[in-house]
Amino acid sequence: MSAREPLRTNVVTQSLAQIGLCGLFLLTLLAAIPRSFRYLRETTRQLWFVGAMSLTIIMVCGLFVGMVLMLQLYHVLSIFGGTSASGMVVALSVYRELGPVVTALLFAGRAGTAITAEIGLMRATDQISAMEMMAVDPIAYVATPRFLAGLIAMPLLCCVFCAMAVFGGHLVGVTWLGIDNGTFWSNMTAVVDVRTDIVNGVLLKSLAFGAVVSLIAVFQGFTTPPTSEGVAYATTRTVVASSIAILALDFVLTAFLM
Amino acid sequence: MTQPARPPADDGTLVRIRGLTTVLNGKSIFDALDMDIPRGKVTAIMGPSGTGKTTLLKHITGQMHADAGSIHVDGRNVAGLSREELYKLREGVGYLFQNSALLTDFDVFENVAFPLRQHTKLPEVLIRNLVLMKLQAVGLRGAARLMPNELSGGMARRVALARAIVFDPQLILYDEPFVGLDPVALNQVLKLIRTLNKTLGITSVLVSHELAAVQQIADHVMLLSNGKVVAQGDPKTIADDGSPWTRQFFGGEADGPIPFRYPAGDYATELGFVGAPK
Repeated sequence: MSAREPLRTNVVTQSLAQIGLCGLFLLTLLAAIPRSFRYLRETTRQLWFVGAMSLTIIMVCGLFVGMVLMLQLYHVLSIFGGTSASGMVVALSVYRELGPVVTALLFAGRAGTAITAEIGLMRATDQISAMEMMAVDPIAYVATPRFLAGLIAMPLLCCVFCAMAVFGGHLVGVTWLGIDNGTFWSNMTAVVDVRTDIVNGVLLKSLAFGAVVSLIAVFQGFTTPPTSEGVAYATTRTVVASSIAILALDFVLTAFLM
Repeated sequence: MTQPARPPADDGTLVRIRGLTTVLNGKSIFDALDMDIPRGKVTAIMGPSGTGKTTLLKHITGQMHADAGSIHVDGRNVAGLSREELYKLREGVGYLFQNSALLTDFDVFENVAFPLRQHTKLPEVLIRNLVLMKLQAVGLRGAARLMPNELSGGMARRVALARAIVFDPQLILYDEPFVGLDPVALNQVLKLIRTLNKTLGITSVLVSHELAAVQQIADHVMLLSNGKVVAQGDPKTIADDGSPWTRQFFGGEADGPIPFRYPAGDYATELGFVGAPK
C-alpha cells in the first residue's frame, strides 16, 4: 500500500459519508414539509429571493445562449444548405439540454450560494440556536421554505430561459441572418414534441435539478462549521457539488427519458 | 445515558442535575456534576473561562446531551423528551445568548414579536402592546424599527433580553448578560432581572464573571471549576469563605487550584532550550 492510500481512502470515505448525510437530511426535509406549511409567508419570501431575483441573470444568459447557438448553427448548416432547420435545432437543443442545464448551473451560482451563505451565517451567529430555543423548528422554518422555493422556482426560471433563448435565436436567425420567419416557426412547431421536449426536457429535468441544487445548498448551509472560513468553503462546495450533480443527473435523466 | 428515578417536581428545585459527565473533543468538561437550582430564585454560575458554563446552559435546555448523568427541569428528564416535548418545555424557558443572536432579517420589533407570532394567535394590537411593553422595560421602545446591524452590542443584548422575557417564562437562562453594557444600562438590566424574579417568581440562572453585579441580584452563587462545583453560597460572603478556589477566582490570582494555563508540555523543551547543543 502506498503512502497516499490512507489519505485517498479517507477522502472517499468522507465523500460517501457526506452523500449519506445529505440523504438523511433530505428525509428530514421531506418530513418537515407538512410542518412548514404554516410558514407559507417565509416560503413566498424565499420564492421571491431565489426566483424573481434570479430573473435578470436567467433572461440575459438565455438571450445570449440562443443568439450564439443560432450563429454557430447557421454557419455549420449553411455548408449543407440546411439553414432553414436552424430554428428547429436551436429549440431542440435548448428545450432538451441547454435550457435545464444552464439554468440549473446559473441557479446554483446565483441562488444556491446565497442560500448556503445565509444559513451558514445564521448558524455562525447563533440565530439557528436561538430559533431552537424559541421552540421554532429551524428545519421547518429555515430549510424547507428555501428547498420548496428552489423546487418551484427552477422550472419557472427554465421556461423563461428557454423562451429567451428561442427569442435570441429568432433575433439572430430571422432579423439578422435573414431566415424566413414562417420557416423558422413552422419547422420548430413541427418537430418539438410537448411530452418529450417540454414536459420531459424542460419541466422534469429542471424540477430534478431544482431539488438537487436546493438540497445541496441548504445541506451545506446547515452543516458548515460556524466560522467565516467554514462559510466560504461551504459556499464553494455548493457550486462544485451542484455542478457535478447537475451534469451527472442530466446524463442519467437523458438516458432514461430518451 | 443513565436514567435515575424521576424526582418530585415541587420540592423547591426547578433544575436538578445529577452525575453530569461530558467529554468534548477528548477534554472532560463535567465530571459527575451535581447541582440543584432552586425555584423562584436568582442563581449565578461563575467560573473561569472555558470551564463549561455555557455548555451547562445548553445541557439544561437540551441543545446538547451529556455522556452520562441526568438533568431534570421541572421534574422532566431533558434527555428523555421527544422533540415536541422539548419544544413545549422550551416555550417556558427564556434564553439570553452571549452574542444576542438576533434574527438579522427582522427589525427590533419583529425580533421581540417573533416568539409570540410563532406560538400564539394573539391579535396584532395585543402583540404590538406586549412587544412595546417589553421594549419599554429594557429602555428601547424608541428603537423598535431599527435593524440589528444598527444597534450597539449593549443595545442588541437588551433587545435579546426583551425577546427572552416576552413570554414571561418560568425559567430564564442568562449567558453573560452584563457584557458590553454601560453603567446605566447595567443598572437597569440588574433591576429588571430582580423585578422579574420578585414580581413574577421567575427562576433565573445567570452565567457571569461580574461579582459586583452578581452580588446585587443573586440569591445563590456556584463556582464551577474542573467540571465540578468547587464552592457555593451567599454572593455577599462567598468571596470571603476562605477556600483556595474562591480566594484565587475573586482575587484574580494566577497561581492556585484554578489553572490559568491550558495544559501544555514543558515550556523550555518546546522553546528548544533543553537538550540543545551549548
